[in-house]
Amino acid sequence: MGYIREEDKKYLRSEFEKNLQEEVKLLVFTGDRCQYCGVAVAIAKEVAELHSLIKFEEHKIDGKLAQEYGLDHAPTVVITDGEKYGGRIRYVGLPSGYEFSSLIEDIIDVSRRTAEVSPEVKEKLMTIDKPVKIQIFVTPTCPYCPRAVRTAHRFAILNENITGEMIEAVEFPEWANKWNVMSVPHIVINEDVQFIGAYPDEQYIEYVLQAYKKLR
Amino acid sequence: MEFGFVLPTASRGSKEVDLVIIGGGPAGLSAGIYATRSGLNAIIVDKGNAGGLAEEAPYVENYLGFKGIKGEDLVKEFKEHALDYLEISERNEVKDIVIEDDRYVVKAERGEYRAKGIIFATGTTHKKLNVPGEDELLGKGVSYCVTCDGYFFRGKKVAVIGGGNSGAIAAIYLRDIGVEPVVLEYMPKFMCEKAYEKIIKKREIPYYTNVQVTEIRGNQKVEKVVYKDRSSGEVKELDVDGVFIYVGLIPISDLAKKIGVATDNKGYIKVDLSMRTNVPRVYAAGDVTGYAGQIIIAAGQGAMAALSAYEDIMLQ
Repeated sequence: MGYIREEDKKYLRSEFEKNLQEEVKLLVFTGDRCQYCGVAVAIAKEVAELHSLIKFEEHKIDGKLAQEYGLDHAPTVVITDGEKYGGRIRYVGLPSGYEFSSLIEDIIDVSRRTAEVSPEVKEKLMTIDKPVKIQIFVTPTCPYCPRAVRTAHRFAILNENITGEMIEAVEFPEWANKWNVMSVPHIVINEDVQFIGAYPDEQYIEYVLQAYKKLR
Repeated sequence: MEFGFVLPTASRGSKEVDLVIIGGGPAGLSAGIYATRSGLNAIIVDKGNAGGLAEEAPYVENYLGFKGIKGEDLVKEFKEHALDYLEISERNEVKDIVIEDDRYVVKAERGEYRAKGIIFATGTTHKKLNVPGEDELLGKGVSYCVTCDGYFFRGKKVAVIGGGNSGAIAAIYLRDIGVEPVVLEYMPKFMCEKAYEKIIKKREIPYYTNVQVTEIRGNQKVEKVVYKDRSSGEVKELDVDGVFIYVGLIPISDLAKKIGVATDNKGYIKVDLSMRTNVPRVYAAGDVTGYAGQIIIAAGQGAMAALSAYEDIMLQ
């Protein structure tokens, strides 16, 4: 028996059938002594089996590709076209619970090679020409968190300088403690600018710009 | 660890419909099913996940047919049921509504919907306590969502401010995941359902009454709650690592007001028994009407609103 229920699979198949356009790679980076790696692989495989445009690959967290993408925690799930998106759209820890919906929406956006952002926000977003890393600490039982994750991932899809990294705080408590995470979503940009809450794009982009301006 | 999978439903693009249902909580989802079954072409638009505040309820024990179910799971059932009938566009916030001729143009982040009618099932959001320290320590121990943030306080002591049903459920949930909660209630008695009172007593969760919280204190994070004991007038302190605030709800009705919908002095949308507002072909259902606060009532009101919309739109 798999992790995803049959009726959910049926629904996902129809969503993918309607929305997928180009190939999407679902990469899972695994390591030794990793409690949830097996589950992450199993879930990714189940998702990939739902549509021929979704390709599953397993990689080692201490391998070459992980190094190229700058990954060091397992499991990490990356959604990519294998080219311009690189390893910038990612989940550290299991994308379960509410984050499973983020994963599915990311697969669809990456397959469409675009994401929806208003023209005003996009204009601001496209001024960013240096690397900005947005980390979003979440818990799987937080209904507000996917919005914060998806905003970062949508920004990353549109601007190749941006990396959006979800971090499952319950799975990586020491990492969460480092940033005193006590409420989620807790967003850390370039290990500097922080805010808490699921804000609309218009406010979110201002925090991203604040972090970006410190780079100049 | 349990692996739940919440599915996304992200419809895209603008369209012409009979009815836009704003909000995908129990009221909106139920309205969607009734509207579509009656023959209306409807869409549900939600700024977050479908489910509304019901998603945050750790347990629901009073919805007919379910003796005990997690809010998240109950909502999943609702959503899957509604998806058999109509589109639900999630994470698609409605930004504005304008009236053009006899149509309402609902402008959302991911599309515009021209509609003959609207059901506001926009619900409520958490009310703030409005004491010093609350804003300053937000995210540093102050929280409004136990399912989101409860984990960070395992093995620690927290105050749950507000001993109504939401606060009581929050305290029970916290105890279940290994947190040590203390409930602080303003009134001189238990303010939750008897059923919750029994669980709280059985699990020996402290429930202080006559407590007026005056301040949340802490340097980098929450350290204590300062309160007045209303029976003695004495000022006391309680050492805690976190504070969960459940002191009531405020309606989300600004957009409704913008198109002329009447509300009461607290902002709840005024409706008649058939869920019609004062504006033609505009309805409200669920917590935003101020009657509900209960999933079963919200669902019932949603059904009623949809049937009224059917009468007004299809039978005219």
